[in-house]
Amino acid sequence: MSFIVGLDIGSALSKAVIMQDGTLLSSGISPSEGNFLSAINSVLQEALGKTKLAMSDIDLIGACGLGASFIPHSFHKISEILCQSRGTSYLLPTVRTLIEIGNQSSRIIKITRQGKVADSLVSDKCAAGSGRILQIVAKVLKVDLKDMGQLSLKSTQPVKFTTGCAVFLETEAISRVAEGASKENIIAGLHQALTARIAAMAHRMGLEEDCVITGGGAENSGLVKIMEEKLGKTLLVPDNPLITGAIGAALIVTEKKVNLKKEENHAIETGCHC
Amino acid sequence: MFYAGLDIGSTITKVVIKNERKICTTVIKPTGAEHRRLANEIMEEALSKLNLSTANISYIVATGYGRINVPFADKQVTEITCHMRGINWLFPNVKTIIDIGGQDSKGIKVDNGKLVNFVMNDKCAAGTGRFLEVISDVLGVKLEDIGEISLQSTQPTNISSICTVFAEQETLLQLSKGTSVEDILAGIHKANASRIYSMVKKIKVEKDVAITGGGAKNIGLCRALEERIGFPVIVPPEPLITGALGAALIASEETKKIGEKELTEKQLNRRWEAVTFFDEKPTK
Repeated sequence: MSFIVGLDIGSALSKAVIMQDGTLLSSGISPSEGNFLSAINSVLQEALGKTKLAMSDIDLIGACGLGASFIPHSFHKISEILCQSRGTSYLLPTVRTLIEIGNQSSRIIKITRQGKVADSLVSDKCAAGSGRILQIVAKVLKVDLKDMGQLSLKSTQPVKFTTGCAVFLETEAISRVAEGASKENIIAGLHQALTARIAAMAHRMGLEEDCVITGGGAENSGLVKIMEEKLGKTLLVPDNPLITGAIGAALIVTEKKVNLKKEENHAIETGCHC
Repeated sequence: MFYAGLDIGSTITKVVIKNERKICTTVIKPTGAEHRRLANEIMEEALSKLNLSTANISYIVATGYGRINVPFADKQVTEITCHMRGINWLFPNVKTIIDIGGQDSKGIKVDNGKLVNFVMNDKCAAGTGRFLEVISDVLGVKLEDIGEISLQSTQPTNISSICTVFAEQETLLQLSKGTSVEDILAGIHKANASRIYSMVKKIKVEKDVAITGGGAKNIGLCRALEERIGFPVIVPPEPLITGALGAALIASEETKKIGEKELTEKQLNRRWEAVTFFDEKPTK
């Protein structure tokens, strides 16, 4: 009857889940906002509060993400790619290709039937290939990130951006605003630019169905629609696309513990400590 | 005889007026949004400094990003050619020119005044002056001061990001950890130099090396580049004008190619009104 916490502490959002025997009990999400420790405590409180558990009830913590080192309890660190794959498999077992659009990186991960990673391609060096560029333009246009999707769907003529760099694109967006381009058209153009980057990555990996999209980018309906058109594939979106990493962390750490226990028992029975 | 060279950059516009022997005057101004009319204004300013009129200028060459929008230019020449000529006149032994602009950077290989090889980055902000602008904004320090400040660092911070946006984030993170502004700036200059160097080394960096453009005015960046390159670099006293200087030199050469009659005709037919040239209302 173990209670396991899975954490995914990202540059934009911190996520927590509580699981028991492979079942998701609760989750919590909080902006990281440069203060990881505070965000971690916040999401833990949120997840615990929903289940009426306390930290003392938690047996194990598995964690991934940029801010994981700030976790004020002992935990097992797991790679983001492994966590994302396991977590997505848990929610959508038919996934074979995962497109994850995070704040600082985009990843395409090939997943086996068992939920294991077969191959992966990551873009995490350039802001224009990640959710970051959406945030930057949202700020320029003074719109909420969560409204970008809906707005882009109303576009009549997406702006064509000439640059692949987030910094130069920001300048271009400002110029377009000065020229009178609508927010809808600018956002749609931005989605197209980002999609083109992802498509180039996808082309190298090959897309096998079912294709799933997760991360903050998955909550942007406009982006998902343009990606589906450009990639020529249906993109499944899990009910809560933000917590796949945290779920994966919880599941993987549970397995690790089980394996550790097996090794312990083997040692006790045979008197062998190999 | 007087010759004029104009270099209309994406960020800064430069004019050089020279005679046979020396540079007579220079004007440097931010290009801003309306560079077509700026060309006229800046030319007039240069002329008034010398008490000359447009009729006194034998030949005018324009270069740079905005060169096609200079209606009174007698000829338009590419930036690379002009930079090469300008540097060659100032420092004849230079083989590699590293030009660091506001929105792009270039590596130019020359041999005996001829272009041997060329490489440019205008795709990624991290290898341009923009990178330093963004960081100086975030630190609340004036762009013209960051070079000097960075030299006060005793322990440069390691900035691991290749991207301007992520480096900006790292800067904020370092600030919140209490890292000093000098140390952060030293690390930032190293990162910028690193990006520029990885582009330039594609054309093989050979002595003598000259740094031009706005980036050359940043002593911190020049030192960081020297470190990467492994030997000292030459920085012209006014690094921004090498393009305009080269343009003026080419202007002088052109007058030798054509007869006096043709020269006079050119001068008479010069179109000074930027607005009528484009037959439209001014945009600002």
